[in-house]
Amino acid sequence: MPRIQFENRQQESGITFVLDNGTLPDKPMLDGIPGGVAVLDYDNDGYLDIFFANGASLPGLIKAGNKFANRLYHNNHDGTFTDVTDRAGLRGEGYSIGAAAADYDNDGFVDLYVSGFDRNILYHNNGNGTFTDVTTKAGVTGISSAGKKLWGISAAWLDYDNDGKLDLFVTNYLDWSFATSRVCGPPGQRVSCSPTLYKGQPNLLYHNNGDGTFTDVSETMGISGHIGKGMGVAIADYNDDGWMDIFVANDNERNFLFKNHGGRGFDEIGIESFVAYTDNGVPVSSMGVDFRDWNNDGRPSLVVTALGGETYPLFRNEGNGFFSYESYRAGIGFRSFKMSGWGAGIQDFDNDGYKDLFTANSHVSENANLDKQQHYRQANAVFRNMHDGTFQDVSGNAGDAMQLLAAHRGCAFGDLNNDGKVDIVVSAIGSPAELLYNTSSGGSRWILIKTVGVKSNRDGIGTRIKLTTASGLVQYNHVTAAGSYASSNDPRVHFGFGTDTVIKEIELKWPSGTVQVLHNVKADQILTVTEE
Amino acid sequence: MRIALLLLPIAMCTTLPGFAQTCVGAEGQLAKASTALTRNAVDNAETILRTLSASHRECPEIILDQARLAQAKGRVEEAAELFYRYTDSDPNDSRGLAYFGRFFLEQHDYMRADALSAAAVDKNPSDPAALALRGQVLVMKEQSPEGQALLEKAVELDPDDPEAQFQLGVIYDKAKAAPQAVQYFQKATALNPSDARAWDYLALNLEPLGDLEGADGAYRKGLQVNQPGRYHDAFLDYNYGRFLAKRNDLTASKRHLDRAVELTPQVRAVWYERAKLDLRMQNYQQASLDGEKAAACVQQGGIIDLQIYTLLTQVYERLGNADLAKKYAELTRKTPPPVRGEQR
Repeated sequence: MPRIQFENRQQESGITFVLDNGTLPDKPMLDGIPGGVAVLDYDNDGYLDIFFANGASLPGLIKAGNKFANRLYHNNHDGTFTDVTDRAGLRGEGYSIGAAAADYDNDGFVDLYVSGFDRNILYHNNGNGTFTDVTTKAGVTGISSAGKKLWGISAAWLDYDNDGKLDLFVTNYLDWSFATSRVCGPPGQRVSCSPTLYKGQPNLLYHNNGDGTFTDVSETMGISGHIGKGMGVAIADYNDDGWMDIFVANDNERNFLFKNHGGRGFDEIGIESFVAYTDNGVPVSSMGVDFRDWNNDGRPSLVVTALGGETYPLFRNEGNGFFSYESYRAGIGFRSFKMSGWGAGIQDFDNDGYKDLFTANSHVSENANLDKQQHYRQANAVFRNMHDGTFQDVSGNAGDAMQLLAAHRGCAFGDLNNDGKVDIVVSAIGSPAELLYNTSSGGSRWILIKTVGVKSNRDGIGTRIKLTTASGLVQYNHVTAAGSYASSNDPRVHFGFGTDTVIKEIELKWPSGTVQVLHNVKADQILTVTEE
Repeated sequence: MRIALLLLPIAMCTTLPGFAQTCVGAEGQLAKASTALTRNAVDNAETILRTLSASHRECPEIILDQARLAQAKGRVEEAAELFYRYTDSDPNDSRGLAYFGRFFLEQHDYMRADALSAAAVDKNPSDPAALALRGQVLVMKEQSPEGQALLEKAVELDPDDPEAQFQLGVIYDKAKAAPQAVQYFQKATALNPSDARAWDYLALNLEPLGDLEGADGAYRKGLQVNQPGRYHDAFLDYNYGRFLAKRNDLTASKRHLDRAVELTPQVRAVWYERAKLDLRMQNYQQASLDGEKAAACVQQGGIIDLQIYTLLTQVYERLGNADLAKKYAELTRKTPPPVRGEQR
């Protein structure tokens, strides 16, 4: 069996980014929450570049000096990166939290949406290495219809109405401000307060009008009527009806599953589909999420990160409209009980044809260690898929990088060096970001599929892909950059498939309804598929 | 009210003349008997006391141990009578007051337990039996720091008292400090292997530490010794059943949860847990019955309405009963989640 291994190559990469949460002695709610990462190829050179969202000084919410600037690093193709933030114009404003990258105007260049506490910013990629803030013109300010700036956390690009233009979903967290801020714990030992002390906020859905502007359709599409405490967001067509659905991980509130009704509206069916709560019937501190098929049954399932003592919920899609809570059945219940997690991904790290799990771990409170059962700085975790519906925690044998204790937050998944293995970029409060290069052994075969939509949105987001290898292994995945926590992943769809050298068939179901089938495709390549 | 209790506020300072003389030569055996009783080695204590009764008929200490023996064997009236006799004869003996207080505690007579424990410590602030009881009572009175301090002093003076070790473990269990709790429960079970409660608590605290085999072993040992009496644990089957479900041994889990609903049918949690298992085992009809039983139980902490509604939504959805599924889904939607602590 191949071994999953990661190597942190941050030191030689030239990436010096340290997530700065601007913490104060009173530990306001804001300071535990930041840390989104995006991997995106902003200059179309075929290599993923890296964007980090950063905090700001508190309570002023000013990105004073370099230490609070958001950062864009260009991939030099040799394992090193160059900081191009200033040239790109991406230093940002206010307290940034999340990032979501996609080509919303179908011009062939990936754009970037940065969500935050006081500012959400849409950056249009000018195609020359620079970006322009088009937020106000585009109408995606993150301000509710009532005129209140909501606390943005994560964002996801999706074409919910399959009109060929990417729409934008933004999760919002708490109705919190410095004026209403409470303090918890004794002076000098303050900890993060529970979100139950504050009201939640509605999420936002912006419809892309195709002319560079968006319309807030949160109310008319059935989104904003549901008040949660939104953290992570992931999209998938969970019921295989050709329309992308949306899962929102809520912190200490029930999770939402927004079922898409043919692009005409959404029903929130978290309770009816059994993903609102764990099998214990109470909410957990849901943070990050990923929504992909881990057991090769063609149905996207969910992994959610939470705080210590709660376990990470794993919801298996039964294919009948219901999900079943499987954390213990799948073997991650006891193992994740002591973990607190943020970023999360369902990815095949050892290219064996079965997707594994990764979580970026840390407790929310810097002073969590005052409780002997909790730890602020934690090691990340990787759970190997055992091919039988269970996972095994292999973190201890996955290399020194996986033993590093830090205040990990968001993480993004993507193949940084185009070697066919999924790498991970992890942001951490107060310590250098980690570039976890996947050095897993085994020499297993792989393919990365880059979709180019024609009738569909240009990124092909929402395209469902079925891959069948010569030996008969069938796998499923879909095109999305959303998932994890406040982060944006490689939109290229990765498959590993063991020793097969030829892929018998690749079927792509585009959002436009076009079905495209490729036969006898060579392994070990980055394949660009343009919609027919 | 017997004399000992009536005289408590005006504690007497005399000792019975000739006490020492009547027990001369029995000190070693008395100590062994006391230790055996402390560790619930009832048969051993009974044998020693039988011999001593013949050889030292007038030794009052024997009465105290006989009272404890009767208490251990569940002979409540006899125990009470003997405790009264002893404390009447020596109302200043802190041990007598402490053991009598513990007797009342086991009878759920908390006021007398409170009074006797206070008097016992007053008589002798260095008596570990008195300190242990008083510490336990203070914790029950929500004076946890003070109670914990007395219990810690008690185990320092007498590390072989399994009950004091157990009570300290319970304090750490409540504080969710599993590593410390485990240490105390391990000592408690080593000293008194017949304490099913201690095995149960030990297992519950080994679980979050990831020692699943240890937890499984502790549950099993607890079940082996779980007999009616002072160390009986009515929730051992419930806890083991839950544990087995988490370990995916559903058949064994069912066996224990079946037993749990027999033992404590008035408790909502046992029905709820079995309903969850029914659901997992796709016994949806039984899940609906168990879930409705849980719903009908008066809420008594632990399982809240939201949990029941969530469960019954699932059950009725899977049974295809759209009306009831909708009813419980709406209840789930309307019911706010529990308010947790202010801090993370």
